[in-house]
Amino acid sequence: MFFRMIIGAFRRQWKKMLMIALTVALGASIATAMLNVMLDVGDKINEELKAYGSNITVVPNSQAVISDLYDVEEEKEEYLAEETLGEFLTIFWANNITDFAPVLDTDVTVNGNDVQLVGTWFDHHFEFKKKGTVYQRDTGIINLRSWWDITDGKWLDEAKLSGDCYAMLGKKLAETLGVKSGDKIDVKGKNGTESLEIVGIFESGDDEEGCIFTTLSAAQRLSGAEGKYKKAEVSAITSPDDELAVKAARNPELLSGDEYDLWYCTAYVSSICFQIQEAIPDASARAVRQIADSEGKILEKTELLMALITLMSLIGATLGISNLVTSSVMERSAELALMKAVGAKNGQITLLVLTEIVLTSVAGAAAGYFMGYAFAQVIGQSVFSSAIEMSGMVAFLVTVLIIAVTLIGSIPAVRMILRLRPSEVLHGGH
Amino acid sequence: MVLASLLRRRSRMIVALLAIVVGATILSGLGLIYYDVPRQMSAQFRSYGANVIFTPSDNSFMTDSEIKKAVSVFPSEKTEGYTPYRYENSKLNNLPVTLAGTDFSSVLKTSPYWHITGELPDGSGKTLVGKKLAEKFGFSAGDSFSLLNSFQVTEDTDLSGVPEYEIYTDPQTNEKFCDHMLDLRVSGILETGGSEEEYIYVTLDDLSDLMLSDRGCDIVEVSVAAREDELKGYLDKINKTSDTLTAKPVKRVTASESTVLSKLESLVLIVTVVVLALTMICVATTMMAVIAERRREIGLRKALGALDSSIVTEFLSEGIVLGAVGGIIGSVLGYLFADTVSMNVFSSSITFRPLLIPVAIIVSVTVTGLACLIPIRSAVDVDPALVLKGE
Repeated sequence: MFFRMIIGAFRRQWKKMLMIALTVALGASIATAMLNVMLDVGDKINEELKAYGSNITVVPNSQAVISDLYDVEEEKEEYLAEETLGEFLTIFWANNITDFAPVLDTDVTVNGNDVQLVGTWFDHHFEFKKKGTVYQRDTGIINLRSWWDITDGKWLDEAKLSGDCYAMLGKKLAETLGVKSGDKIDVKGKNGTESLEIVGIFESGDDEEGCIFTTLSAAQRLSGAEGKYKKAEVSAITSPDDELAVKAARNPELLSGDEYDLWYCTAYVSSICFQIQEAIPDASARAVRQIADSEGKILEKTELLMALITLMSLIGATLGISNLVTSSVMERSAELALMKAVGAKNGQITLLVLTEIVLTSVAGAAAGYFMGYAFAQVIGQSVFSSAIEMSGMVAFLVTVLIIAVTLIGSIPAVRMILRLRPSEVLHGGH
Repeated sequence: MVLASLLRRRSRMIVALLAIVVGATILSGLGLIYYDVPRQMSAQFRSYGANVIFTPSDNSFMTDSEIKKAVSVFPSEKTEGYTPYRYENSKLNNLPVTLAGTDFSSVLKTSPYWHITGELPDGSGKTLVGKKLAEKFGFSAGDSFSLLNSFQVTEDTDLSGVPEYEIYTDPQTNEKFCDHMLDLRVSGILETGGSEEEYIYVTLDDLSDLMLSDRGCDIVEVSVAAREDELKGYLDKINKTSDTLTAKPVKRVTASESTVLSKLESLVLIVTVVVLALTMICVATTMMAVIAERRREIGLRKALGALDSSIVTEFLSEGIVLGAVGGIIGSVLGYLFADTVSMNVFSSSITFRPLLIPVAIIVSVTVTGLACLIPIRSAVDVDPALVLKGE
């Protein structure tokens, strides 16, 4: 009997039910899309913020001894071995390291001009073997200098060019030397001379405009530091610093066991630096404050903004749904009163109405979840050109939310109708 | 008649009105946020520090008045601050060090990311030492040291302000030399993760005292809350009017900012569009449901001889009144909401845009009107007898 009534209700009132299902679906799709976008926006913006370049620099751990300082005029150059670069790919948070590049700078002369030459990776294909595992990564400064404008020629493409005698010149230097892309320059370093072909001229708006950028191997030959580099720039996706990170930054050893584990397993800039130092004992890794701090601030603001917009949309969606549910129940006062008049118990009527409404809502919510999925992907693709990750939690949350909203919207209305006397309702005197 | 109908059907109208108010609130709230996000976010991006630098043009100096004049080109409400820097070489314990003279009162405005252990120096005789240099020399906050500026004294050298005992003569060559000293006390240690950690920061006056010259500064950092293209306009204007200094954007900051900010803007835009579209459909379905419930009433009126057009007009004007009222209430609520968001996220109030009120009202009225029209038409087209019979 119960099921017959339910099925009958759906068959007879399918238009009304469809309207409710549609509204629920719309609300659910707003909730699904916004919650998913909100949960993923941090990662997405973090990737965008990589445009600012590296947020960690790795330098040799200078064992500066005071006695060393007094006797020599010229400070001894310190280097890191090129093999250590592979260690970046072995640390706990290796997957958060989006790009890294070694830097070896040295003073050279070109046509009698003193110039700084920087050897680095441009878009280097890097392979590293350790304990039987092969790590590989395409990385280099092409992603760490997103703000460079190539005014002449193109980016140095290591894979396409044969040999390593190529260079990119800063615009200012190119003007001083009077050269353009395709020209060759003779560069005299501490340890020999190389003839480099210019593949591109760049505009960077800082001191690098006066430098020559060339391949790491060419710079190593020129400076006589074979197999070495001076500094590494690392760009990592990090979590904004919080109290724990601030505490750890002072001294990781002061943390309690649990705190230490939590800190170590969170992608704070300080824990990534710590892990790099663990992997490369000769190196000192430090956060570039300008980038690391600002990233945290921007991320925090964006996430909060999205959370509040999501909250607003959720309130809107839930109000819309419960509003319609209430009104649809109120409209049925005559029908419910009639049921009561012919002897139905309050519990039976309530159960009937709730089953109808909840079934409709769940159907609507299911449809809405998929609509919301589509909307989230539209947002992800059009803004970030990448998919928004769907969280299973959101599906659960939306289901609970929709059922709760439906019940909250319908129960008071049903109770109110049942409290009235059937004759009054049927008579139309309310 | 419209008013009477509105009053009579109070509960149903409340449902419809609530739906419209929710829609209009979301419209005006998200609209306000969308328009204000670039401005608010741009201010947040100032945490990356200076985005403009002034350097002296060839063979000239930047005077204070020139700098002030150039800075005044930027609108004052958008200028976070500007900091001059002068770099000199000096000696500490006979080792070469780089000195930077600056204005400590504005330095955190253009470099908000500086981490200082101890305090920022608040006057002359105090210094901020870069972390690397401090580690090398074993300095911590509270320590004192002296900087040395050694130079050969010629006839042209102005020795006013130099104590007698700092001047000595080489007995062999009979040339005169001067070892001018500056005593400093470390106020704080600076950590940035960049080259700043290798410098010693002092006030511009102290640096002039030590170097015995006030030659102006080498670089001025300016932090302006403006987008790349807007900034370009200001910089062109400065470069046109001034012949002693050149203004340049810090491309790393400006270019990256416009990349990230444009993503953020399009994010808020598309979220606004999606949420608005869904909300408006939601409002429309609610309105349609409310009107559809009144098929009996429409049928009865038709049976009593009302013209189709008069029924449509009445229902439509009812919807329009509802839309207008809902739009007005929604605009106010939306403004309150947007302002709360702005205060929470950016700690500054939102810019009120009066234009959004008529937009919210017009959209509400249009959506409500359209949503009413469809079910009324279908109700009007039906034979009244069937409607009244309940089929």
